[in-house]
Amino acid sequence: MPAFPSFRLSLAGCTLVLLVAGCGKTSAPATGTPGADSKVMEADLARTLKEQPDFYVFKTPADVPADLKWQDSADLPEFADPNAKKGGSFNYYITDFPRTLRTIGPDATGGIRQYLLDYTEPAFVLPHPNLPGAAYPGLVTAWAVGPDGKTLYYRIDPKARWSDGHPLTTDDVVFTLYFMRSPHLREPWYNDYYTRYYRQLIVFDPLTFATVHPDKKPDLAVRFGNFVPYPRHAYQDFGPDWLDRFQWREVPKLGPYQLYTKDVDKGRGVTLTRLKDWWAVDKRFFRGRFNPDRYHLEVIRDPDKAMESFARGDLDMFPLGQPKYWYEALSDQHPEVAAGRIQRFKFYNQTPQPDWGLWINRAKPILDHREVRLGIQHASNIALVCTQFFRGDATQMQTRSDGYGWRMHPTITARPFDPKRAREYFAQAGFTSQGPDGVLTNAAGQRLSFTITAFSQTMRDLLPILKEEALKAGLEYKLEILDRTTGWKKMQEKNHDIALAALSRSVELYPRYWEMYHGTNAYTDAYTKDGKLSPIATGAVPNPHPKEIAVQTNNMTMTFIPRLDLLIEAYDQAETLDEIKRLAAEIEEIIYEDAAWVNGWQRPFYRGGYWRYVKWPAGFNVAQSRDLEEFFVHWIDPEEKKEVEAARRSGRTYPATLQVFDQFKTP
Amino acid sequence: MTRRFPFLQLDPQTRKKLRRFRSIRRGYVSFLILAAAVVLSLAAELLVDSRALAVRYEGRWYFPTYGRIYTGKEFGLDYAYEVNYRDLRTRFAAEPTGRNRIFLPPIPFNPLENCYPGETFRPRPPDWRTGHYLGTDQINRDILSRLVYGFRNALIFAGAFILLTYAVGISLGCLMGYFGGWFDLLVQRLIEIWSNIPFLFVVIIVASIVPASIGMNLGVLLVIVVLFSWTGMTYYMRSATYREKARDYVHAAQVLGASTPRIIFRHILPNVLSTIVTFIPFTIASSISALTALDFLGFGLPPPTPSWGELLRQGTSNLNSPWIVASAFSALVIVLLVVTFIGEAIREAFDPKKFTTYQ
Repeated sequence: MPAFPSFRLSLAGCTLVLLVAGCGKTSAPATGTPGADSKVMEADLARTLKEQPDFYVFKTPADVPADLKWQDSADLPEFADPNAKKGGSFNYYITDFPRTLRTIGPDATGGIRQYLLDYTEPAFVLPHPNLPGAAYPGLVTAWAVGPDGKTLYYRIDPKARWSDGHPLTTDDVVFTLYFMRSPHLREPWYNDYYTRYYRQLIVFDPLTFATVHPDKKPDLAVRFGNFVPYPRHAYQDFGPDWLDRFQWREVPKLGPYQLYTKDVDKGRGVTLTRLKDWWAVDKRFFRGRFNPDRYHLEVIRDPDKAMESFARGDLDMFPLGQPKYWYEALSDQHPEVAAGRIQRFKFYNQTPQPDWGLWINRAKPILDHREVRLGIQHASNIALVCTQFFRGDATQMQTRSDGYGWRMHPTITARPFDPKRAREYFAQAGFTSQGPDGVLTNAAGQRLSFTITAFSQTMRDLLPILKEEALKAGLEYKLEILDRTTGWKKMQEKNHDIALAALSRSVELYPRYWEMYHGTNAYTDAYTKDGKLSPIATGAVPNPHPKEIAVQTNNMTMTFIPRLDLLIEAYDQAETLDEIKRLAAEIEEIIYEDAAWVNGWQRPFYRGGYWRYVKWPAGFNVAQSRDLEEFFVHWIDPEEKKEVEAARRSGRTYPATLQVFDQFKTP
Repeated sequence: MTRRFPFLQLDPQTRKKLRRFRSIRRGYVSFLILAAAVVLSLAAELLVDSRALAVRYEGRWYFPTYGRIYTGKEFGLDYAYEVNYRDLRTRFAAEPTGRNRIFLPPIPFNPLENCYPGETFRPRPPDWRTGHYLGTDQINRDILSRLVYGFRNALIFAGAFILLTYAVGISLGCLMGYFGGWFDLLVQRLIEIWSNIPFLFVVIIVASIVPASIGMNLGVLLVIVVLFSWTGMTYYMRSATYREKARDYVHAAQVLGASTPRIIFRHILPNVLSTIVTFIPFTIASSISALTALDFLGFGLPPPTPSWGELLRQGTSNLNSPWIVASAFSALVIVLLVVTFIGEAIREAFDPKKFTTYQ
């Protein structure tokens, strides 16, 4: 029997996939050594310093103001367990092999950047994860805020060393700001951020420098001191074509873990190695952290397989966020859990949550009616998703900005699911007659039908629920699940009707609004003068009929309300926390009244399981941790590991306990 | 009749073949099973649906199966969306008068609905009392209902797929065989190039960029799959036409002044029909597996369309609920097995060398 064409072709496709994957594994890291043009960076840097004398300023140690109040947070408590045991090999997983080992530049986000940068590399000044607003010293011994409230002074820790032995100096800081602002970096976001928010770098001596910022902020030190330097000596060949050369290069680090080229098993996994003589191993706030000697990250693409690996003992811990793992696959009935060898925990944290919700595109016809948007608010049964799909683990957000430690608005709550009220609003917008399929239509024959765009496997199961419920209000949702890149692009280009999406939010003291709600991020011609400029500062006038849609911005509701823009600009320039809170409440109220964002869900905790021999500090983790590993406070007890392994063979059991840590639970 | 449609004319030879097919028991029984399944699935709304077959309410008869929705208000309830007929049945049963009556299909669940409103979304095992004979999936939808409608979608897909691929493949193959020469050479090379485009990649790319205004649906998916599947048929038709072209009856037709299309489609095609017929069952089998594979990978039909691939995907990610994967897998195996038995029987029946036995 001859092979059937379509089948043969699809097989050919599969083979090709395998071939590509196979090739990836065998090809050696092509670039590990600096290229021939190894001095190209220094020349460009020298030219940049000459061209931008207002930004890069060099002074003498005598120019440091004498009356600065240096801070080192010596009075604040540490958050790790100083008695944690070092050693052992920790096994965990990643869902995909990283496309590069760079921590910056295209493709660097995702992958293993968190292990190479976010979780492990200390910044100059870091936010204290248990005390919102407080800071602790990372690469510095002390820092100080200048009398103008906009300048931040740093004293670099003289012990700070790159993993290749070079000391950290202000040379690296100069390079870092040059690097972040360089067009060769191909990171427009970083270019913009380090231009907009860093107005000046002042170098006093090899260990003292200062950065100057545009606005006075209550949290200046953690907001702007929280950046990580890059080693100048290792980037001598940085230039327009640096991406290819640095794709798989091993670069010196300041953190405790180094990823050696020999430990990169292409396509399969990576292993980080702890530096035995790390400079900060005994430093306050770093003691008792970063404990395992080897940190092995295996690529397991399917979470279900990863869970099975964990239950078999191949992985040392596993997040059990999904209800099907927590309540079924790895419930307290599972033999290893019942025997107490796997321990389960639930930890309430205090972090701003991703702002899940339905982002309604106000620029689309019909959706530009506020009544229609109000109808959609009452026709989208998010509460049902929370209680019955997430099984009560998730709760519906009440305002745009839950999780920042205070209520953004005293009275606003999410609008309830109510088909009758939704129909009333739809009727006000002219949708009065019901078609043969139960969908409302208006006098012009337009159906009340919108597409929801989303991208994730979970959404395949969640969206049909919203669709079925919305039909009760006479509203039809068409579902479109795209792959991540395409879906995101569509939303950023504002081609969606309604997007089910979330922006992740960093741990900060107060939320951001400018990116999501300022008119210039909806239309480039929102104001008569250059849209990037503040209307307050320039006296620009709102354009009543803007047409040019601003793409690649996060204003996915296409909100353009001049009154709101003024508030957002005042908010961004606010200098005290009280003023920030007052303006945030006003902003939240306008956003609520406009009804273009349907409140989604959040989960005020994370949970998981770990083998008994994995140990944690007394309170388990820190308030502002978003997952198990973020602050690397865990360790392995090698003796107990042997014991547990013996117990698995002999069938010995331990008392099974579910640990709930709710000391940080927001009431 | 036969004169107007010589294509359908059954010569004694063909009739003999059909008789032989009927005598091959396993294949023939399989054929009857499949035919019954096809017919039943086309009338699925009468057997598996949440809409009632007939309702008698306040002295009036309603037949909701096909046609517009009836709202709760029309049956004295307080909501403006489609009435829940299962609730209506419970209510009518409780009425003392017995004037209102309702007849539901044997499996009163549609493939899209949450069968346990007010309860957690999680897979539930098969249960005879609730009427979920194969259980429910992870968002409380009846699996049997999704299997039935998924089967119908797969059949529609397979039918349209066969029509389109064969139309293109046969026409082009016959032309290649009939004209031969540079035309044949050129088209062959083009086909070779075309068939080297990796099918799966193209589907993945197209599926992710199809604009929302069109939307990924059965039609779009069909076009993509057909685009990459018509080539195989051309080879068989080309060689069969080459062989037939040299026969005397073709020359006779040419001498009589018949046009090229007439010669190809009226004289040659009926004589190479047996080749095509033997392929059909296997084409059905592979088009069903192709659709299932694409759905499984998430590049097929958009949710919440019922499909077997989607059920398999759910099943493999919920191995703790084995009834999901077991249902979808068994259904797939049974259908593919039945189709293969039919194919085998057809091949044997149409084999000119009668006494050869296939092992």
